[in-house]
Amino acid sequence: MLKLTCFPTFSHFAVDSHIIMSKRKARDAHLPVGECIKQVQQILRERFCERRLPDRLEGVEAQYKHLLELLRRTAIHGESNSVLIVGPRGAGKTTLLQCVLRDLQKEEKVQKNLLQVHLNGLLQTDDRIALKEITRQLHLENVVGDKVFGSFAENLAFLLEALKKGNRSSSCPVLFVLDEFDLFAHHKNQTLLYNLFDVSQSAQAPIAVVGVTCRLDVLELLEKRVKSRFSHRQIHLLSSLNFTQYLERVWTQLSLPDSFPDKKFAQEWNAGVKTLCEDKSVEEVLQRHFNSSKDFRSLHMLLMLCLSRVSVAKPTIKPADLLEASRMCFADTTANMLHGLSILELCLVIAMKHLNDVYEGEPFNLQMVHNEFKKFLHRKSNSMYNFEQPVVMKAFEHLQQLELIRPVDGSSAKVQREYQLMRLTLDHSQIMEALQKYPQCPTDIKQWAMSAFG
Amino acid sequence: MEVLYHFFHRNLEELLKCIFRSLLVMFWCFEMTRFEILMPVCFSSFAISVEGLSKIIINTGQDIFIEGCDEDNPYVAKVTRLYGDGESYSHKLGFVQWFIRVSELPVNKLKLLGREPHPQEIFYYECRNCDNEVNVESILRPVKVKHLDSNDPFPDSADKDTLYVKLSWDSKVFRVVNSTVVESPAEPAPASSPPSCLKPSLPMSPSCSQSAATPRGPSRRTPANVEAESLHSATKLSASKCLSAKRRNATARTPGVRKRLELSSECLHKDFKMQPLCRTREQQGYIYISNTKSYHHFLTVSLIFLQISPGTPQTPRHATPSIPIRSLQTQQPANILEEARARLHVSSVPESLPCREQEFQDIYSFVESKIVDNTGGCMYISGVPGTGKTATVHEVIRCLQHAADMDEIPSFHFIEINGMKMTDPHQAYVQILQKLTGQKATPDHAAVLLEKRFSNLAPRKETIVLLVDELDLLWTRKQNVMYNLFEWPARRHARLVVLTIANTMDLPERIMINRVASRLGLTRMSFQPYSFKQLQEIIMSRLNKLKAFEEDALQLVSRKVAALSGDARRCLDICRRATEICEHSAADPSSTGLVGMSHVMEALNEMFSSAYITAIRCASTQEQLFLRAVITEFRRLGLEEATFQQVFVQHQALCRIEGLKPIGVSEGLAVCQRLGACRLLLLEPSHLGVLQRIRLNVSQDDIFYALKAD
Repeated sequence: MLKLTCFPTFSHFAVDSHIIMSKRKARDAHLPVGECIKQVQQILRERFCERRLPDRLEGVEAQYKHLLELLRRTAIHGESNSVLIVGPRGAGKTTLLQCVLRDLQKEEKVQKNLLQVHLNGLLQTDDRIALKEITRQLHLENVVGDKVFGSFAENLAFLLEALKKGNRSSSCPVLFVLDEFDLFAHHKNQTLLYNLFDVSQSAQAPIAVVGVTCRLDVLELLEKRVKSRFSHRQIHLLSSLNFTQYLERVWTQLSLPDSFPDKKFAQEWNAGVKTLCEDKSVEEVLQRHFNSSKDFRSLHMLLMLCLSRVSVAKPTIKPADLLEASRMCFADTTANMLHGLSILELCLVIAMKHLNDVYEGEPFNLQMVHNEFKKFLHRKSNSMYNFEQPVVMKAFEHLQQLELIRPVDGSSAKVQREYQLMRLTLDHSQIMEALQKYPQCPTDIKQWAMSAFG
Repeated sequence: MEVLYHFFHRNLEELLKCIFRSLLVMFWCFEMTRFEILMPVCFSSFAISVEGLSKIIINTGQDIFIEGCDEDNPYVAKVTRLYGDGESYSHKLGFVQWFIRVSELPVNKLKLLGREPHPQEIFYYECRNCDNEVNVESILRPVKVKHLDSNDPFPDSADKDTLYVKLSWDSKVFRVVNSTVVESPAEPAPASSPPSCLKPSLPMSPSCSQSAATPRGPSRRTPANVEAESLHSATKLSASKCLSAKRRNATARTPGVRKRLELSSECLHKDFKMQPLCRTREQQGYIYISNTKSYHHFLTVSLIFLQISPGTPQTPRHATPSIPIRSLQTQQPANILEEARARLHVSSVPESLPCREQEFQDIYSFVESKIVDNTGGCMYISGVPGTGKTATVHEVIRCLQHAADMDEIPSFHFIEINGMKMTDPHQAYVQILQKLTGQKATPDHAAVLLEKRFSNLAPRKETIVLLVDELDLLWTRKQNVMYNLFEWPARRHARLVVLTIANTMDLPERIMINRVASRLGLTRMSFQPYSFKQLQEIIMSRLNKLKAFEEDALQLVSRKVAALSGDARRCLDICRRATEICEHSAADPSSTGLVGMSHVMEALNEMFSSAYITAIRCASTQEQLFLRAVITEFRRLGLEEATFQQVFVQHQALCRIEGLKPIGVSEGLAVCQRLGACRLLLLEPSHLGVLQRIRLNVSQDDIFYALKAD
């Protein structure tokens, strides 16, 4: 199933210092284990945290080529373009763009011929801020000298004039990268987008507008004039990855490059990774992850948790580590919170669950919950006593603070606290799971929880 | 505080003006109604007077200053005829022969002179198309104009009220001018002397001559020597009179003192403590250099009734911004496909605009007729995006400019504003003013200046053609921007042609209030979306016989685009993309090197197909299951909306059916959020947890189709 015989090369993965170090230590190839582990941690962590761009992108060659050609034409021919990169979160949109830019910068013709402006919809929340940022990144504020930047209107006129002055053959092309592109579409009148696209469709300074977004319906957000000016190029990053490729990816992500200083350690490590990937239980866990989500960011999260368990005493990743990491990834956080509740609070939650069952999800108030609880005490309980109303109220408020219950919209302030309507934000399965794991839970309470009605 | 003062200051002046004007009008009406003449009457002289100040008498043949935009350099002209018109001669008009100042000459023509112009030099203006009629109210005072022979040196004189004529200017060349044409026949009468000429130069009616003979009223005024009330306020007129005296000492130090500021400080300094400040600053010439914000504001406000003259020190204009120059030359297109791509880019300007001949002709004749007739007008152009509205107007202007250069029509000034390229509708004023005069002003100030410019008599003004793109963005609640834009062309002397462009055909009916819509008028034009034949022609004309496309491929693109939107931009973009695809597949031995059907089909698919179905196919197993769970729950509820909790129950059941391990709530929520981020689902804010409501953003059929195919 897996072609484990061909080892991929990772010539650029290691930092320069590593290469120098490897040359120096080539004679005495054996490093102490502690040093090796340190290096492994560093190399792999850089990979998982996406601090280092991969050498070569896998699975998106066509998109890579399209984008590279497009931006190269802007830089070399001065052709204005606009394009959107669309794909789900964690699909590698930014990585694709960064790789293209990195490779573009390597070309001599492009190097000094491309100005870049990076904007992010989460940072530049309106056009005023965006314009200031563009001016700053283009170093145009030097032109104005020490004059403090004027109004929004002046700023816009200034920038438009700057772009209008240019022409295709003589001015330097500008690349605009708009991260979270959909947020720019919510700016007033979409002034920024209109102007950028308008410049890209008229004989002014050559610009390339690259929008990055995860929304598939992004074109519907554009106003019709803005839409008409957009070139309608969209690069979709939708991975049609299958499980075999996914496993292969896990394996490449974990293996060490050839340039690793200690050859022997690297071989042992890679062999360890190979056996890990062939393990049945590991495959099951990875299959579950793959079913849940195909994006690599969540995979990196999982592998990072495994990696953190590697130490000098245990210099390989064992299947048990992966199982543990997977358990942590899939842990239900709200159910975990239930473990920390007092018995009274737990009883109230169970009472709410019964109320939900009886009234089919209608909201409840403290009084109803307390009554339900008292009914239970009256009928079955032998381990629990009744509590004073204020104590129950306190427990109820604690549950609200934890956001395990949430007031119904629009019923706040006016109503007395006991009668305020609430909803439970827990699923039945979560409550049952928490009860199973609750330390020393009284049996009668468990039975009460499991009984059908009250 | 200062700001407050200033508003008060301004209002007070306005008030004074109003009161004074109404007083004078009443006085004047009283005088004139006695004659009961309705025919135009010619006069040989006018006396301009303001109460409390001595009169100025204007005779025919005299040289005068006429109020213009620039307060320090008023227009110069010679009176050729004076007459009264209308009900009780309320219109007092004069015909003049214009002189032109050096500052009014086009900068690029100055080199024709071949020497440095003298600051007090003026030129005899011989141009047919200029308006010779002026309102008497705009006359400021007499001036001395002396003729010099072309070889004589200019006399050395500090007297600013004497101007010298050597040459004439007919908007193309300078010529030597005859002294008899220029020199005034008579020296202007001193202001205090009694009127010398009492008879109308052309007795047009007996009653008129009779009335001239009989002195009436205590003032013994005759229609030949009427007192014309001036549009200027009392303060202004007084200033224009005091000016010559005052200027001799004031201008010696600061050239180009602003008259009105001075006068306001003079007349109102008792009321306003700030005046001395303003004056001293003015005299030092430091007007613009100020750090305090309030003073700056004061200046902005005071500029409303100040006019900036080119002679005074101005704010240094913005250093013109520009994008840095590229270090390496652009590469020229190397092969046919690259060449085609360059030509098909929307930005490349074609030699001619095909398929819009009729519209072009209509707009051209409209604008041309307005320019030739020296009138104004509005036109409304509508059409969906990408139908060539702006391009056609630009083409029209280009042709008109060419015609103007060839002297077929009078020259004109073209200004373009775009509603989308401004941050606020009121910025329209600022941009128009800036493009018209280069001045910078706040929106309110700019509105006042423009209002003045378009309503006042402005001799020797070129017609202005104003293009307002994306008109609907100029909508404000009171619609005053639109109102002004359509009101100005209707003014008698505005000579403004406004071309407006927007997308919707019924915009005037939909968003404009009646008085705005009525001013816009009924000159409308709508651009229809291009038909497939037209689109084909557009591409063909752009390619210009370059053989890069197969016939069928072109037809496919144009038919497809015509069916969808008729947007020419779309059509060109698709063609451009098709050339790229063709280039990539060039390695294929079967390819002909031309862009064929398959390439165009691929480009069309890329641009028009929705990504939803692919996105669902590429989603993970749990995400697909969740979508199915949503549909199942919708079916069960009979509604198009469900909470996460409800869907999750279905999801658990589906997991069991599919033989997968049921997932936890946290994981389920994560799956749901991922689908929400792609907008396959529409979600409520995530803090609601399991209570958030879910809707589908794709049709159920699409989901079934996508999931069935595997």
